[in-house]
Amino acid sequence: MYIGNEMNRIDALDKVLGRPVYAEDLSAKGALFGCIFRSTRPHAFIRRIDTRAAMASPGIVKVLSCHDIPGENLFGIIKKDQPYLAQDRVRCIGEPVLIVLGETEEAARKALQLIEVEYEDAEVVSDPFLSEDSTALIHDKGNLLSRRKVIKGDIEKGFKEADVIVEHTYSTSWLDHAFMETESGVGYPDSKGRIVVISSTQNIHYKQKEISRLLAVPEEKIKVVQATTGGGFGGKLDVTVEGFIALSVHHTRRPVVMRFTREESFLSNTKRHPLYIEYKTGARKDGIITAVKVGITGDTGPFASYGETVCLRAALHATGPYEVPNVHVDSRMFYTNNPVSGAMRGFGIPQLAFAHESQMDEVALMLKMDPFDIRMMNALKKGSLTATSQVLQNSVGIIETLRKVEPYWRKRSKKEDRAGFGLGCMYYGIGNTGVSNPANACLNITGDGKIALHTGACEIGQGSDTTLVQILQETLGLKIEDIVLVRGDTDTSKDAGSSSASRQTYISGGAVFDAALKMRQYLDEKGFYKGRPIREIYASEADKKLLEHNGFFDPPTTPVDPETSKGSPYATYAFATHMTEVEVEPETGCCTVKRVYAAHDVGRAINLKNVRGQIYGGIAMGVGFALMEEFVPGKSESFDNYYMPTSMDMPDVEVFVVEDREPTGPFGAKGVGEPALIPQAASIVNAIKDATGVRPFELPCHIERLKMLLEKAKG
Amino acid sequence: MLPDFASVSPETKADALAYLASLDDVRVIAGGTDLLVNMKRGELCSNVVDIMNIEELRLLSGDGTDIAIGPAITHAAISAAAMLNDLAGSLSAACGWIGSPQIRNMGTIGGNLANASPAADLIPPLLIHDTVLKIESQEGKREERLDDFIVAPYETSLKPHELLTWVCIKGLPGYREGYRRIARRAAWAISRLSVAWAVREDGDRFVDVKLAIGSCTPMPFRPRNVEKFLGGRKKDDHTIGEAAALVVEEIRRITGDRPSFAYKLPVVKGLVQKALRG
Repeated sequence: MYIGNEMNRIDALDKVLGRPVYAEDLSAKGALFGCIFRSTRPHAFIRRIDTRAAMASPGIVKVLSCHDIPGENLFGIIKKDQPYLAQDRVRCIGEPVLIVLGETEEAARKALQLIEVEYEDAEVVSDPFLSEDSTALIHDKGNLLSRRKVIKGDIEKGFKEADVIVEHTYSTSWLDHAFMETESGVGYPDSKGRIVVISSTQNIHYKQKEISRLLAVPEEKIKVVQATTGGGFGGKLDVTVEGFIALSVHHTRRPVVMRFTREESFLSNTKRHPLYIEYKTGARKDGIITAVKVGITGDTGPFASYGETVCLRAALHATGPYEVPNVHVDSRMFYTNNPVSGAMRGFGIPQLAFAHESQMDEVALMLKMDPFDIRMMNALKKGSLTATSQVLQNSVGIIETLRKVEPYWRKRSKKEDRAGFGLGCMYYGIGNTGVSNPANACLNITGDGKIALHTGACEIGQGSDTTLVQILQETLGLKIEDIVLVRGDTDTSKDAGSSSASRQTYISGGAVFDAALKMRQYLDEKGFYKGRPIREIYASEADKKLLEHNGFFDPPTTPVDPETSKGSPYATYAFATHMTEVEVEPETGCCTVKRVYAAHDVGRAINLKNVRGQIYGGIAMGVGFALMEEFVPGKSESFDNYYMPTSMDMPDVEVFVVEDREPTGPFGAKGVGEPALIPQAASIVNAIKDATGVRPFELPCHIERLKMLLEKAKG
Repeated sequence: MLPDFASVSPETKADALAYLASLDDVRVIAGGTDLLVNMKRGELCSNVVDIMNIEELRLLSGDGTDIAIGPAITHAAISAAAMLNDLAGSLSAACGWIGSPQIRNMGTIGGNLANASPAADLIPPLLIHDTVLKIESQEGKREERLDDFIVAPYETSLKPHELLTWVCIKGLPGYREGYRRIARRAAWAISRLSVAWAVREDGDRFVDVKLAIGSCTPMPFRPRNVEKFLGGRKKDDHTIGEAAALVVEEIRRITGDRPSFAYKLPVVKGLVQKALRG
């Protein structure tokens, strides 16, 4: 067995020894350094740009503006509405205006100070609620980016059947991904006349396409390679340095290095969407939920990025992992002149989990039920209809995850007054929503008798390299020494899609499995399993093309109805329950997260250590989301004033893995990357309520907010 | 980016004083956990004198009640010193909580004092230990009480050519001491609020109480009227409650009202009560 074990990650030893070359470490002989001159205004027309002093500054080679872009100046994963370099106007603070290229980093950064821009300020839209009717249009077609509804059953009837109704409003703030490695990369012209970009990224093929549009050259003229990447969490899905680097190489024909400072990363990188959630739940006396009505208002900043995805995913998951017969969700995402929000671990669902799990506890409280029992009673099971009326056929492990924590829940006891216990449940659709999102993988036999795996799946620290190799090993029955992994290079791998949406184990894993089955049949025919060495098979094969086997997997989904969202947007869902113990100090508002029991239905754990690692990381991030992380535009500049948890804030964690196998997944696997985070903040908030009697409706519930709630409750 | 600057690393105090006397636009670096950050943010200085290699500035000596701490001793070293654990527990505790392990290994007591942040972790404990600072320059020596040394937030009476040479504190044997800091996370954060205390009790009576509050007022301070109030009084809820209310009153008297006080004042009240109860 090569899967289901505790194999060390294949990159672990190298990383411990400090061997890998991260994008931030990259350089090239004779490289220029590129810096970005950024807007200091939230919304303004550019009247004049004076770069003469910067150009005259020592060591400055070139200053590039939007007029130097040969192709399209607009990029975006779904809607192409974001300029690489501002054209006539800026729509947020931090928006790139110019690229300054210097012989050294110092020269380039010094020259930035010498650039003068004259702005004419325009009306600023800083609130999504005012955005709708504002006469200040951020884009010509209006300030509403997206509106999605989920309609199931009869919402009025549902509330009529309810004995109790609970209605609350929840809000969350901007968060930064705060990956360890800031956006970095290097580019150079290669001997074939192409432009090569090596960067810290979650998706090489998407970047290749965008650069080809930017430079108006065919895709094959662009090569994108993923450097060892120091974290992503969604923040390296959009084009960060890649476009600037490619454009700079195009104009100078010299190697170009870019590396954002931490301050620049905070200023310019996409954020988690702040969501404002109005949530109404109806339930019968016996605890059965009859109706859920949710209004979601989001702020995506001036550019779409993943705003439409968050708008839709938040809506589709708004009811949580429960069977609700009558559902009405109205989710709207607005443009503003606030920071650009984009993809961040969970795409809006951690925010919604905070709301739906708070609601479950409040309903239970009203009905004098145990919060555990009400969840158990309403949880999705095989045959259940989701909010989009998708029938869940397989791998519905939510009840099993509840059962894993049940003994700890039942025997919980408060050693101190200030202790509290809370539950959080979640479900999460694996892969992109209602669209084709395939992955490719390619295997070939090498001359030295090994099997090479070519994949475009970006390892960003989550462990996909190890997982994919294990799936290959298991299928072929091969030792690790017989496998060569070639990853993250558009020259050698076909598109595997992004490392996002918890999709690589399931989808790229599926593609590797598909290719491996073909390879196994070939090897079997050639006598490998009867003892014939691979090297010999290679030598004897006249047509070397036959040594290559391609794999493909695209999860079976259906698009959702544009009006009601009816459909099967995901082929499979992950499920989880977290139980958290906190201790709140009433004098100070300090909340300490003591212990977490985390149960996850991952379908099949390809690598137990990896699954646990994801869960530990998700919990750490959830502690930050619940208690301290908050990006305040104009104030949060660096780690000096953006607090994220350290190891000292980390609770003890016990992980339970539930394996309700997914028939379409490789060996039954689904995903765990985002699920690990999603229920954590919710369970902390519920534990705070249990400890103190007050319920936070705004995240983060940092010490000041919690203390104020406690003071208010005292009266 | 760090601006350009020149630096020297003298090995004797005399050399350091000579450099400070002769160099223009000069700053002392003693760990650099504040200075380098400020310089990176644009604070300019042409010359830096590093005092970390000067043995005589890293000594710790004491005879029980009079303890002299070298200004170049790191937070990590102070928190590990047994003598200080016994006689200045609040200082040990503060040195164990400030920053992160990396910062504690670099940052020094002298640097924390000279930076004079309203949120400095070491200042409240040093206040309750009646700290006197010894300062030298080529022109001579002087002594100053810590209360007078800090003249405004981030401002001390140190002149550019002067060097802090000793931090002299009074040990408090027989006192119950502590230090509590509040921040948004468990470690590696600027204190939102801090309280240092040293309490001597006799049965159910307070004999002598020393309190200092940080991060609330422009400079950390001792509410001496409250200390006086507590001396000799019965240790009960009434006294403790009244003392906590007096502390809050004193903070208001010093600074008026501030938006952050909605949070800070109830917390100070709670922490002072906790400290007095023990």
